[in-house]
Amino acid sequence: MSICFRNVTKRFGNTTVVEDLNLEINDGEFVVLLGPSGCGKTTTLRMLAGLDNATSGDILVNNQRINDVPTQHRDLAMVFQSYALYPHMTIADNIGYPLRVRKLNKTEQGERVNKVAALLEIESLLDRKPKQLSGGERQRVALARAIVREPRAYLMDEPLSNLDARLRVQMRGELKRLQYQLGTTTIYVTHDQAEAMTLAHRVAVMRKGKLQQFDTPMNIYERPANRFVAEFVGSPSMNFLEGEITKGYFVNKEIRIRLTEHQRQSLSAYNGVMLGIRPQHVRINQNRESESISARVYVTELMGNETYVFLTVGTNRIVVSAPAEFRAELESEVWLTFIGDKAHFFDVQSEARIC
Amino acid sequence: MKRLGKYIALFVAVLIAVAPVYWMLTISLKLEVDQFASPPAWFLFSPTVAHYTDAFVTRSFGQYLLTSAIVAIVSTISALVIGTLAAYSLARFHLPHNLDNKLSLWILSTRMFPAIVTAVPLFLMMRDLRLINTRLSLIIVYTGFNLPFVVWMMRGFFAELPRDLEEAALVDGDSRFGALWRVVLPLVAPGLAATAVFCLIVSWNEFLFALVLTQTDAAMTLPVGIAGRVTQYEIKWGVMSAAGAVALVPILAFALAVQKYLVRGLSLGAVKG
Repeated sequence: MSICFRNVTKRFGNTTVVEDLNLEINDGEFVVLLGPSGCGKTTTLRMLAGLDNATSGDILVNNQRINDVPTQHRDLAMVFQSYALYPHMTIADNIGYPLRVRKLNKTEQGERVNKVAALLEIESLLDRKPKQLSGGERQRVALARAIVREPRAYLMDEPLSNLDARLRVQMRGELKRLQYQLGTTTIYVTHDQAEAMTLAHRVAVMRKGKLQQFDTPMNIYERPANRFVAEFVGSPSMNFLEGEITKGYFVNKEIRIRLTEHQRQSLSAYNGVMLGIRPQHVRINQNRESESISARVYVTELMGNETYVFLTVGTNRIVVSAPAEFRAELESEVWLTFIGDKAHFFDVQSEARIC
Repeated sequence: MKRLGKYIALFVAVLIAVAPVYWMLTISLKLEVDQFASPPAWFLFSPTVAHYTDAFVTRSFGQYLLTSAIVAIVSTISALVIGTLAAYSLARFHLPHNLDNKLSLWILSTRMFPAIVTAVPLFLMMRDLRLINTRLSLIIVYTGFNLPFVVWMMRGFFAELPRDLEEAALVDGDSRFGALWRVVLPLVAPGLAATAVFCLIVSWNEFLFALVLTQTDAAMTLPVGIAGRVTQYEIKWGVMSAAGAVALVPILAFALAVQKYLVRGLSLGAVKG
């Protein structure tokens, strides 16, 4: 099922929650709406489900406008953040609810419930009540209820956010596998960039009701449309340094980075710019090298497979992702080498990416 | 020591609640000689069922009981049906200019004046509708009087219920009414039961309007029938107590039956894990 948002705006009173959203989602695609809380991603999903009405604009499904189609006739399945399992029904009744509502005959209902329960490995829970289940089990039941009737699309509102870290990573993988098996269009809302990057075919990054970028995870990471996207995606966050362009160099009080030929051309019209560089693209050394910059260790965090080193360079704060075996005393002097061709440059005013 | 104090307080509370009932029960079983004995015969007297046969065999208290039951049950059900639907709408759908809240307050305002001011208008209306001395008149009046209470009670229960559940039902393909019937109502059943008990008690015990609107044996309710035993020449304490004791039974039975629903908390812990 293809989905299209065309100039969709949603206001609650005087607050604009979603502003002029344009989004085209292809059949079978897994799209993640990513953004901080309050960015309008959940409202976007709810408008698609028909739980909220768009103030203006059109929402199209398979090229047909569905703004005025009531929720129950849209044939979408939704997994809520709270799971929203019906507490007074058994798990079997919960999963079978969409079939019961559609008045399927009893034997087929049972068969389909059992099939889905087997797929999600929850057969042993069918006679229990939601209250007796763990978070992970409830999550599976919510998924089963969505899958059981083979809807036109799945809408998922932060379905993993109530799980503990280990389970979240496990379920993330299973969700991806499931979507691959079913091939059903899926819209997934999250504020967790790791979920977005791992699950999505394409990610729509939103901020304050506005779509910032809609692209593949790779492009979002490597060619962020603006400073917000660059900062929101990637861990730890990208470093930002303000400075000027002079004679083929990015320069500020303490830092000098040589530009590549391509960067030099793109930046020729600019004077002041914002440089962004990921922690993975700064090399850290105990010894001075040519074109390296002196920095002072502020704090180090050993993550196991790597070490995050937080540094000060004059007034600039920089975080670097160093190898796990990197050791340095706090306040000791180290040397940084910026991998210049991995740097991004942003317009200081508009924050849009220049190159 | 602290525990003992608690038990004493409990005992006093129970005594205050139960003593009048006990007194009524004993009176209904005493011969008139024992009823007025001084000092009172608290425990030892020769019991008799004469007052019960007098009330329910000789006089038409059976008829009053039936009327009371019909009126109370039908009015409670109608108030619950209408009130619950109204409460659900007021809890879930928002009208412009905060009209839903104003409407709720307006509904409540009908309970703010003393009921007796409406006695004469209601009598005139029922007379014009030719409903005097009918059960229907009482059903209409009691439904009207219980409605504000039902709306406010149920609105509170609905407001507490997470919207996610109904929305899940809608997304699952159910209609608004289906979601209400299959998901919402089962979850507010405890609230529904508590509200029903209250409505039933109010309708069952109501005296003023029953007295104004019904005068015949066929349409009279139990409270009016009982009060009718206070006459110019004598007060039939035995008959009145016997009828009172019987009037107690259905309400008590219903309250006991729904007791487990009166304990709230069915839906707690249902949504968030």
